[in-house]
Formats: sequence, C-alpha cells, structure tokens
Amino acid sequence: MKARKVKHLDPEGTLADNAQRLVAVRIDELYDFVPAVLNPKRVKKLHEMRIAAKRLRYVLEVTSSVCFGPYALTATKRVRELQDLLGEIHDCDIQLPRVQQIRAELSEDAVAELSQRAGGAADLDPALASGLSHSEDWAGLAALEHYLAVRRGLLYERFLTVWQDIERSAMRARLDYAIAERPSLADSDTEMNPII
Amino acid sequence: MPMAKARPIPGLTAQMRYSDAAAATIAVRSDELFEHAAGVLDVTQIEAVHAMRVATRRLRSVLEFYEPCLDRDQLAPILDQVCDLADALGQRRDPDVELEALAGFAAAASEIERPGIERFINRTSEQQQQANAELSLMIERIEADDLRGKLSALIAPPAPDPVDEPTGVTPEVPVDAEQQPAKSGWLRRR
Repeated sequence: MKARKVKHLDPEGTLADNAQRLVAVRIDELYDFVPAVLNPKRVKKLHEMRIAAKRLRYVLEVTSSVCFGPYALTATKRVRELQDLLGEIHDCDIQLPRVQQIRAELSEDAVAELSQRAGGAADLDPALASGLSHSEDWAGLAALEHYLAVRRGLLYERFLTVWQDIERSAMRARLDYAIAERPSLADSDTEMNPII
Repeated sequence: MPMAKARPIPGLTAQMRYSDAAAATIAVRSDELFEHAAGVLDVTQIEAVHAMRVATRRLRSVLEFYEPCLDRDQLAPILDQVCDLADALGQRRDPDVELEALAGFAAAASEIERPGIERFINRTSEQQQQANAELSLMIERIEADDLRGKLSALIAPPAPDPVDEPTGVTPEVPVDAEQQPAKSGWLRRR
C-alpha cells in the first residue's frame, strides 16, 4: 500500500508545521479503513490498516514530544498498541492458509496412495485405507489449524474492543487538536524527544 | 515481544527548520540501523533481526518524511535499498516468529499431535534458512554499495565553495558563482 502524498511540505518551514501536515494525512489514512475493517473477513484491509498505523506511529515517534501538544504522546502509544494487535492478527492470517495447504498436500498424497493400493479393483476394500503415509500428521495439523482459527477470532475481538476504546476516547479529534498545539519552550527544555 | 526503542534525536525542536531536522534525524536513524546489524544472520538470535527490521522501518519512515528536503537523485536508490533490506528482514522475521510460537504449541501438544506439528516446524525452518541466505546476500550488497556512506552523503552539508577558500591568490570567480548548485545537493532548497 503506497503512502498518500502530502502536499505543501516546505523545507524552509518549521519542523512542527510540516510534521502537522504529514501527521494529519497519516491520521486520515488510518481512519479510512473504518468501517471496512469492522468485517473480520477483510484480511487485506486489516493488513493495510496495520501499515497505516505503522506509518503514523513512526512519524509521531520522532515528532510528538517536540512538536505537538501532550496528547500526541498518548496517541503514539495507542497507535502502537493497535499496530501490534493488527500484526498478531496478520500472523494468524498468514499461518492458517499455510497449515491448510500442508493438509491439502497430504490429503492429495493419501488419495493418490489409496488409488494405487486399489489397483484396478471395481470397489475399494476399507482395509486399504488404514495406515496411509503421513496419517500420523493429521492430529497435529488439525490441532494447529483449529488453534490458529480460534486465536485469530479472539484477537479480532480484542481489536474491536481496542478500536471502540479509541473511538470512545475521541483519539482522532484530540490528536487533530494536539498536532495544532506547540509545546512551550519550557516543555521542550525539560522533555525533549523522549523514547516512546 | 519487546519493541526495540527509538533513540531520541538530540537538538530537535518544533521551531527548527524542517531541512535542519532532516539531517539530525536521519543521522540517528541511520546509526541505529547499522548498530543492529551485528548477529543478524544468527538464527538462534532472533531479536537481532527484529531490532534491525524495526530500525529499517524507522529509517525508511524518516527518509519519506523528509523527502522534500533531500536530493531526489541521491534519495531514490537509498530508499530502494532500504526497502529491499526491509523486505529481506521481513522474510526472515516471519519464520522466526512462527517457529517461536510453534515451539510453545508443540510443548503443549499431546504425543499424538506432535508429528504433524513437527512437519510444519520443519517446513518453516526450511523457509527460515532460505530467507537467511537471501538476507545474507542483501547485507553483502548493502556493504558493497556502501549504503552507510550514501546515507552520510545524503545529509552531509554542502562542501564549501572553492571561491570562498583563502588561497593566497585571487581566485577567478565565475560570473554566476552565486547560482551554482551545492555539490552534495542534500538540501535541494537550502
């Protein structure tokens, strides 16, 4: 997913004014994935939202404490939490099809082996289906597939809760406000660019 | 998984010029990247890959953030290489994370479930080895191309104009000397 272009950036302007323009665009990018991501099946959108969260987070990491009002730091932590959770959901979305693929490959092998055992018979003797290659792998792969599917569901529920909290706390409005604020000189002297 | 912390940028202030902030920020993020390169090819030290991957993302993010302040011709190949490195690190990181989770899953599984989980672990380990080989090539390429030197050149202040240097003889000043572009060109509009 390509980052949206940010207009009117000015190398001769201040860091804070330029950062404000950029962060405003990155906030829009993040929120544009709602309501699509409220559908758990929108795997690609959830992945892209994670990338949008990452872009917003990394620019806030550099600029929030030196350029903006105090809420920007809080928002940075929320965005990071969101990014981490979306990352865990993405891991499940990648692993689950891989487990399913191995099961499908083994299933194909088993069918081919059983067909070979049947030879030219008119019907299949049930005893031939016993002890096929890889049969010992099924239980573990099934357990893993079920684990990933259920874990993904639980993580998605957590995502909905986190997102609801973000909405309830009016993160967007507060962050929009914070990026228009400038820290006082005293603030910048005492707490310059702390580590998030 | 603990996240590698971003280092503060010394001297950064809200009112400083955007283009001055570019040099300060990129210098720190560039150092972070190369500091995390140690041990990155050791598959038993998966945190090294994680830390370098995060450092790569942070560097990429600031290169994009400060793009208007930088020379496009210098920036484009750097950004390409940083993106390629991020991809190579991501390809290694995915199986690292998966193997860690699978080890926990296998430990909790029953005897009857273990062979299938082992099969999946073996396949993931093959991916990890393949990704590690590709990452090794990528790191060699970065060293051969001197990415670090290119990043330094990108943010280096322009070389002093030779006409300003005291030479003891009166230099021949071109008529349009004031209009000459900066040699390093890192700040297009400086």
